[in-house]
Amino acid sequence: MELRAENLRVTAGRREILRGVDFAARAGEVAVIAGPNGSGKTTLLRALTGEIAHGGRVALNGRDCAALRPAELALLRAVLPQAAALSFPFTALEVVRLGLTAGVPGTRAATGRLPAMALARVGLAGFEGRHFHDLSGGEKQRVQLARVLVQIWEPVLDGAPRWLFLDEPVSALDIGHQLQVMAIARDYARAGGGVVAVLHDLNLTAMHADRVTLLDGGRVRSAGTPAEVLTDATLSAAYHCRLRTNTPPPAGGPWILPQAADHCQEEAAE
Amino acid sequence: MAIPVRGAGPLAGDRRRRAARLRLLLGAGLAAAMLLSLGWGAAGETDVTAALLARAGLAEASLRDSVIVWDIRLPRMLAGVLVGAALAVSGAVMQGLFRNPLADPGLVGVSSGAGLGAVLAIAGTGLLPAALQSFVGPWLLPLSAFAGGWLAVLLLYRMATQNGRTSVATMLLAGIALGALSGALTGLLVYRATDDELRDLTFWNMGSVAGVTWARLGAAAPFILAALAAAPFLARSLNALALGEAAALHLGIDVQRMKRIAILAAAASAGASVALTGGIGFVGIVVPHLLRLVQGPDHHGLLVNAGLAGAILLLLADAVSRSIIAPAELPIGIVTACLGGPVFLWIVLRSRAQLEL
Ligand SMILES: Nc1ncnc2c1ncn2[C@@H]1O[C@H](COP(=O)(O)OP(=O)(O)OP(=O)(O)O)[C@@H](O)[C@H]1O
Ligand SMILES: [Mg+2]
Repeated sequence: MELRAENLRVTAGRREILRGVDFAARAGEVAVIAGPNGSGKTTLLRALTGEIAHGGRVALNGRDCAALRPAELALLRAVLPQAAALSFPFTALEVVRLGLTAGVPGTRAATGRLPAMALARVGLAGFEGRHFHDLSGGEKQRVQLARVLVQIWEPVLDGAPRWLFLDEPVSALDIGHQLQVMAIARDYARAGGGVVAVLHDLNLTAMHADRVTLLDGGRVRSAGTPAEVLTDATLSAAYHCRLRTNTPPPAGGPWILPQAADHCQEEAAE
Repeated sequence: MAIPVRGAGPLAGDRRRRAARLRLLLGAGLAAAMLLSLGWGAAGETDVTAALLARAGLAEASLRDSVIVWDIRLPRMLAGVLVGAALAVSGAVMQGLFRNPLADPGLVGVSSGAGLGAVLAIAGTGLLPAALQSFVGPWLLPLSAFAGGWLAVLLLYRMATQNGRTSVATMLLAGIALGALSGALTGLLVYRATDDELRDLTFWNMGSVAGVTWARLGAAAPFILAALAAAPFLARSLNALALGEAAALHLGIDVQRMKRIAILAAAASAGASVALTGGIGFVGIVVPHLLRLVQGPDHHGLLVNAGLAGAILLLLADAVSRSIIAPAELPIGIVTACLGGPVFLWIVLRSRAQLEL
């Protein structure tokens, strides 16, 4: 079971934002989309989730997404947006409960407890009664993650994997909560679900991704395992900046150490 | 062995019970307000109970009492209930739809559009052949008010929404423009109206539940009842929409379809109430706002309670309008404006930072 997208094209006016992107992800794995600002990561995620009109085809678990109704899709995948707005003063618990909009297979009693469980999962037990608008940026991001988790709490439904799409889920989080959220993503994949996450942090990517797709200028610059994609040459070219990858003793994956800022200007001038 | 705790009370942050309790309270309040409205009037001593029971053959009532209760107070009371509920619910629906607590049928031009439709109907009825006039007469007004209100929301929503964001500023300004246009046309019609038409037209500008007849009530009620019945089914979608259109879509809501239904419901209830009682302002904004402060913004509890509270508010406003300069009456629109204006200002001042006007 997998997510497969072929030749995705998105244009805004006359600008081409995605220029024929192929993308694949397997259930049981964490797939990371990386790339510089404006490279089209969010746009790719929005095309994959059917949020925007696009050329090309997206198939989830072998079913053409364009043929699925919103209610059917909602049982199959949940989406954490890059920036989340909320127009009325809901409490944290009420926001998380919105994740139950599509309905959850299972008993009523279990559904009732789910929002509080999800809040605890993202480290926000005790925040149920707080107003969403009063929360800090990182707390807001984790409440939204809890809402998304509640929507597809069981990673596998009727034998089919469900999919978690996360657009920069750790952008507002401290390092401890970054690791916590990545652990949630990993656990979801380990339990049989699929995870597609946009990440800026290349070290987090190296630690947690099974597959990396590096976008640049609306195209795939490189795709493969972290070891294949996260190389000095590829990264330096994509980010216009001299980057050295290295292997720390214990783990074995690459890690990235930014060099001093003046190197970036040299690289960009070339 | 540990026994799992069941029904251990609501979680913190769960305000559904509060909404349910408030619903009971408001239901009782509405019953009381309805009785008050029936039992109290300019006619003095009237045996309301006997007049009501007389219809069922259970009591004797004088012709005078029977007329006062059945032909004057009852339709007036029902109009107050329906219009109050319709305005408050359509206000709540529009606020959810526009994702802004300041949206209100009166402010964003729906009532203007409906008023325009109504005025055109009043002027147009005279042009119809007499036979047709008596046939479509009572229906033409609410239908064209509904159509006017519907076109107005549709137009305003299109104009104010860009890239999925609905701008309040555009909405309010376009609403003002529409209001001015409607005012100008009304003025034109007033200028060359006959005495009869003049009375009808003046009545639109003020808003009043006085002189509501069974025929007019019967023509407007189906629109309002249909919209009120549809509203609870929108609650789930409106809740999801609070997260934005994209998030609502991902939660499984067919956003385009629900927007069409919400616009139709808001236009039907606001349009029909304008047709019935003219432009009564601020109910749609004040009632949902106060309720949100008490029970939170969850539309499941909000829409029902808004209907109840709107009905109560209008009945009370009617009571005030009948008693404040008794035996004469103030148009009810003036009373709701006096109550609603300050509350509206207060809301604006509180949310000044988010307005971007
Ligand atoms: N609706 C739109 N209209 C016009 N241009 C757009 C639109 N949406 C995105 N773009 C442009 O497309 C490019 C890719 O945008 P996208 O949001 O996908 O970038 P991103 O890779 O997610 O960047 P970031 O790392 O900053 O989140 C950007 O240059 C952006 O300005
Ligand atoms: Mg982005």
